[in-house]
Amino acid sequence: MTTAGEPGRRCSRAIGGALLPALLVALTACADQPAGRGDVTLVFKHAKILGPSDPLPRLLREFEAANPGIRVVSESLPWSADEQHQFYVVNLEGGNPGFDVMMLDVIWVPEFARAGWLLDLTPMVAKDELAPHFPAAIAAATPDGRIWAIPWIMNVGMLYYRADLLARYGLEPPRTYQELVSHVARIRAGEHDPRLDGFLWQGKQYEGLVVNVLEGLWANGTRLLGEDGAVFPDPERAAEVLAFLRMLIETGVSPSWVTAADEELTRRPFGNGRAIFLRSWPYAMGLFELPDSPVRGKVGIAPLPRHARGSQGMGATGGAHVGIQRHTRHPDAALALARFLTGEHAQKAMTSGVALNPTRMNLYHDPELVRGHPNLPRIHELAMAARPRPVTPYYLMLSTTLQPELSAVLVGVKTPAQAMAHARRRLEYMLAGILDGPR
Amino acid sequence: MTPRQRADRRAGLVFLAPALLTLAVLTLYPGAWVIWLSLQQRIPVFGIERFVGPSHYLFLATDPRFWNAAWVTLAFTAISVGLELVLGLALALALRGQRWGRRLALSLLLLAWALPSVVTAKLFEWLYHPGAGLVNFLLGGRPLNWLGDPALALPGLILADVWRTMPFVALLCYARLLTIPVEVYEAAQVDGAGRLASFARITLPLLRQIVLIALLFRTLDALRAFDIMFVLTGGGPAGTTETLTVYAYRSLFQTLQLGFGSAIGAAVFALVMLTAWGYLQMLRREGLAE
Repeated sequence: MTTAGEPGRRCSRAIGGALLPALLVALTACADQPAGRGDVTLVFKHAKILGPSDPLPRLLREFEAANPGIRVVSESLPWSADEQHQFYVVNLEGGNPGFDVMMLDVIWVPEFARAGWLLDLTPMVAKDELAPHFPAAIAAATPDGRIWAIPWIMNVGMLYYRADLLARYGLEPPRTYQELVSHVARIRAGEHDPRLDGFLWQGKQYEGLVVNVLEGLWANGTRLLGEDGAVFPDPERAAEVLAFLRMLIETGVSPSWVTAADEELTRRPFGNGRAIFLRSWPYAMGLFELPDSPVRGKVGIAPLPRHARGSQGMGATGGAHVGIQRHTRHPDAALALARFLTGEHAQKAMTSGVALNPTRMNLYHDPELVRGHPNLPRIHELAMAARPRPVTPYYLMLSTTLQPELSAVLVGVKTPAQAMAHARRRLEYMLAGILDGPR
Repeated sequence: MTPRQRADRRAGLVFLAPALLTLAVLTLYPGAWVIWLSLQQRIPVFGIERFVGPSHYLFLATDPRFWNAAWVTLAFTAISVGLELVLGLALALALRGQRWGRRLALSLLLLAWALPSVVTAKLFEWLYHPGAGLVNFLLGGRPLNWLGDPALALPGLILADVWRTMPFVALLCYARLLTIPVEVYEAAQVDGAGRLASFARITLPLLRQIVLIALLFRTLDALRAFDIMFVLTGGGPAGTTETLTVYAYRSLFQTLQLGFGSAIGAAVFALVMLTAWGYLQMLRREGLAE
């Protein structure tokens, strides 16, 4: 948004971002003035990239070198996804956001598109250009058939298992949840270790719980939203899934504390060798394979199991897209940056640098990458079969309404039927004005 | 009224005007705006903006999530403020009687108070960890599911809040205790008063006012409690730790239902105003607010 004509304001804002690389970029941007006419400064908002070596600053410098006259100021977002969303909403709704290019969680794209905050990329980006990305990622970037963002980072739910323990009892990774339960019983009976938990997953009252339940619904051959937009179109199958999750806790297959557990709280005990199965995202593998990890070399990954009435288990997809702020003064430069970041070169650098998974499918078989990350081909298969969470502008409303109800089932406060009825009643009131509203 | 008095009165109003104006702009205007918003269905993402009258309030009147949040808010406030008061007072008395290490004790107290509440929340996340947490270890290794059990989550949060804010009450009371002259106690002793009698007849009455002020601050804070539950439990499990402000935040900022969220906000506003008014009555009786 900002040209080099007002560098002072830009500097202080970038310093507020507190990220050292951002600071350096900002300082150089300030030092170079006075800038020639036609120079463009893009502000790129993104979450902090964690990991041993954040490749982003280097990539942005490469971009600047390849595009003379364009400078990129990178500013990092607050820590949690909730705060990032709030930051975007407050600034975009205010109408004068100080940024051009945004890193977006996949679930925000339909909402931001509907709100008119994103630049419609359909006229500039051909459909073919998205084809190398995963279908689930494309689906999340193209609600209503128009292109609102470009896929950047891929995430997919999967099952981690202790390959050493399964092998000791001659077991294969479970294909159904019944198998998973019986595997747990068999292994725990043999190990006599009261500290060994069975199956860990995310049951805290937050977005992760909704993801776990969605995966359960798909594994039982149903969905959260029917074709007509109704929630729980097949209440019977949905109730089976919720009752199964409650049963896992009641029978001790999963420890009772999963009702307060998020990704990290489940990843740590599994990483300390204290659990047989874990549902998580690909990031955990890198941590399990660290040199000092107690489970190094003992962890396998598999697709999530299926329920009795489903044909196949599948993971939910997550990750990030790159979108462009609608009122940017430099749409062409912004698009160039979005293309560069989501391009093969940058995605490859992100994968080898911080083990974030690319959305470009061919990278999963790139020999150089596979050498450092041998699980990539396996993750490719899982991501091909995966589904996005419901691609709808009111996804967050759906999710925050469901969270307490689903949590109530897990802790045994409500039956699945009660929880679903309560969720439905609330959603009907909340969405009443939306479904028959304008547009 | 003499002309002189009238002139004084006019001058007084003129001098008061800036303060009143500032107050009006900073509190009345936003308050009125929230109430105006709460009478609308307004969801900017979907371009919805229409007047719906009291329909949000009618929905809330029969909304179990709202009443649950209201109950959680009141229970949290009553229990945590009550505990903070008793423990804070006890701590202040203990501090006064302490011979050495007072400075260290005060710094430790301040440390708990000075930690940002999000940091406190993260700290307690690990303290409450069912397997590796210190709390369960101290309780003899029982695997209590502090944050994931609907019966334990709220007590767990209250404990964390008491740990964090009790120092505030303790320091206020301690400061007041230091101003009570020793002679008063000595005189009482001469008159034959025991320790209990001096506590009940001298210490407590002299602490009344400062305790009321501490209560006022802590109650209003607790009624708006947000960060500790937001970070530790997200309002769960089963909404058992969702306070009204968490509910309002979810509606306002997470799902951008400005009208509906404002209705919850207005309820919090009413609750806080009512409580503040009650306290003001008490303070007035104490001669602290005229």
